[in-house]
Amino acid sequence: MELIRHGGARAAAALAAPGAVGGISAGRAVGRERGAVSRSSPGAVRADLEDVFRRDYPLVVGVAARVLGSRDQAEDVAQDVFLSFGHSAVPAGEARGWLSVAAAHTALNLLRSGRRRASREEFSAVAQDAVVSDVADAVVTREERRRVRTALAQLPRKQAVALVLRHSGLSYTEVAAALDLSPGSVGTTVRRAESALRKELNRHASSL
Amino acid sequence: MRHPSDGVLRRLLDEPAGVSDADRAHLTGCPQCLGTLATMRTDATALDSALAPQGSPDVDAAWRRLSAATAEPERVATPARAGRFRPAMRRPVVAAVAAAVVLTGAGTAAANDWLQIFRTEQVQPVALSTADLIALPDLSAYGDVVVTGDGDLRTVDDAAAAEAESGLELPEVADLPRGISGEPTYQVGSEISATFTFSADRAAQAAAAAGETLPPAPAGLDGATVRMVAGPGVAQAWESSAGVPALVVGRAVAPTAYSSGVPFETVRDHLLSLPGLPDDVAAQLSTFTADGGTLPLPVPSDRVSTSTAEVDGVQATVLGLDELSMSAVVWVDEGVVTAVAGSLDVDEVLSVAQGLR
Repeated sequence: MELIRHGGARAAAALAAPGAVGGISAGRAVGRERGAVSRSSPGAVRADLEDVFRRDYPLVVGVAARVLGSRDQAEDVAQDVFLSFGHSAVPAGEARGWLSVAAAHTALNLLRSGRRRASREEFSAVAQDAVVSDVADAVVTREERRRVRTALAQLPRKQAVALVLRHSGLSYTEVAAALDLSPGSVGTTVRRAESALRKELNRHASSL
Repeated sequence: MRHPSDGVLRRLLDEPAGVSDADRAHLTGCPQCLGTLATMRTDATALDSALAPQGSPDVDAAWRRLSAATAEPERVATPARAGRFRPAMRRPVVAAVAAAVVLTGAGTAAANDWLQIFRTEQVQPVALSTADLIALPDLSAYGDVVVTGDGDLRTVDDAAAAEAESGLELPEVADLPRGISGEPTYQVGSEISATFTFSADRAAQAAAAAGETLPPAPAGLDGATVRMVAGPGVAQAWESSAGVPALVVGRAVAPTAYSSGVPFETVRDHLLSLPGLPDDVAAQLSTFTADGGTLPLPVPSDRVSTSTAEVDGVQATVLGLDELSMSAVVWVDEGVVTAVAGSLDVDEVLSVAQGLR
């Protein structure tokens, strides 16, 4: 039953979970569960699932892909997130923010756990780098992409999520609502994250 | 004139309309701010490229995949959600073990009314490998699981409000560990309960789907119900200077279970015999005595080290997650579970726990 899942998350916070680092993620985990517990029958899927899915799936994959760098993995994350959403009672108006935050957290947990599978996609990414023609891609090498993600995993969780949400196209107001920040502090949070990641990139670049 | 903050400058890059006229006016005449803005733009552009995903997903194919997943009866009750990546918190094993916990409290024969059969008295880590966590069967495949209550945590203003809303005495931290300071945030969660009704049909189906043969269900098990209640709970969290949660001290009313129907030994033994539960885990669980009220805490043995220590005259379980530089200590006293966890070493966490007032 779900007892330990709920009671444990509340009572013991970070207790049993590698990945549930302290209050934020534990709190998030419980928050994310909220919808799931309010279902009345196990098989019920919310009626607006398909509409929301078709509208927001690319966004959710984009959020997870920015964290993970792998579209295959990002699509797996998106499936999980929508499955949760399908059983939740999250108000339709909050769906976009909820889905984005859930995708970011799930992807960050996966990134952090280091259990990244070697996928076909990563091989094809190598191949793509070899023949890449896009200027931005040529500048940003695969190595840099890898480093930026390592650094992303080490950022304070709120900064990492704010950064990814913003770069995935959510507005400042949306990021603020989704992360329970004041709209004024979104810019500060995003800027801090960018500054830290850029420093990381430059540090490596200059040491090469 | 005062320079706009970094946050305002950053927003100006993305949403000029979201910035006040005064700030925009300042910028046109301030080389310093323009310089900062240029750096921000370079950083933002570089990161946007570094993070940019390649290609776009096939929404139709993805929808078919999701539809298939929601159409499977065994899976709908427990969406895979974030769980796949957070084994200890979310995997079905937690469910299976939780049920086993409840049932090990048994000792009393059937009753017509709800009967308290288990009250958490202590905690015991049950080591599982990560592979086991993924392999175990989900209880919802064996019957109906209905959860009532709001699992959400609410932030409240201060300690007094936290105590008033939860009805629990908030543990007071005497000395904060080095590197942690300031005021904590307070969160409260209300009571929540879960009811599991065993279904012999469902169990047989689940087993068949997994290619396993289910042991025959004992008489009277079909339709038997177990109800578990936990909470309310309260937590206080301190952030480090970097904004990371550094220390969490939480307390909650420990899980208690009630039953109506068949004798507990019957259900317990049957659950323990279900295919998928590793033999050693089953053996470990079945030794939890009926009157001990031991709450097994499933932890991935390959990631977490466990030990015991004494806190306030009670045996506490100490968990160390070396790879994340995290530790936790948890204990139960008179039906209340208290946990201290943080990005600290084991000694520091224990010292906080032992210093609670």
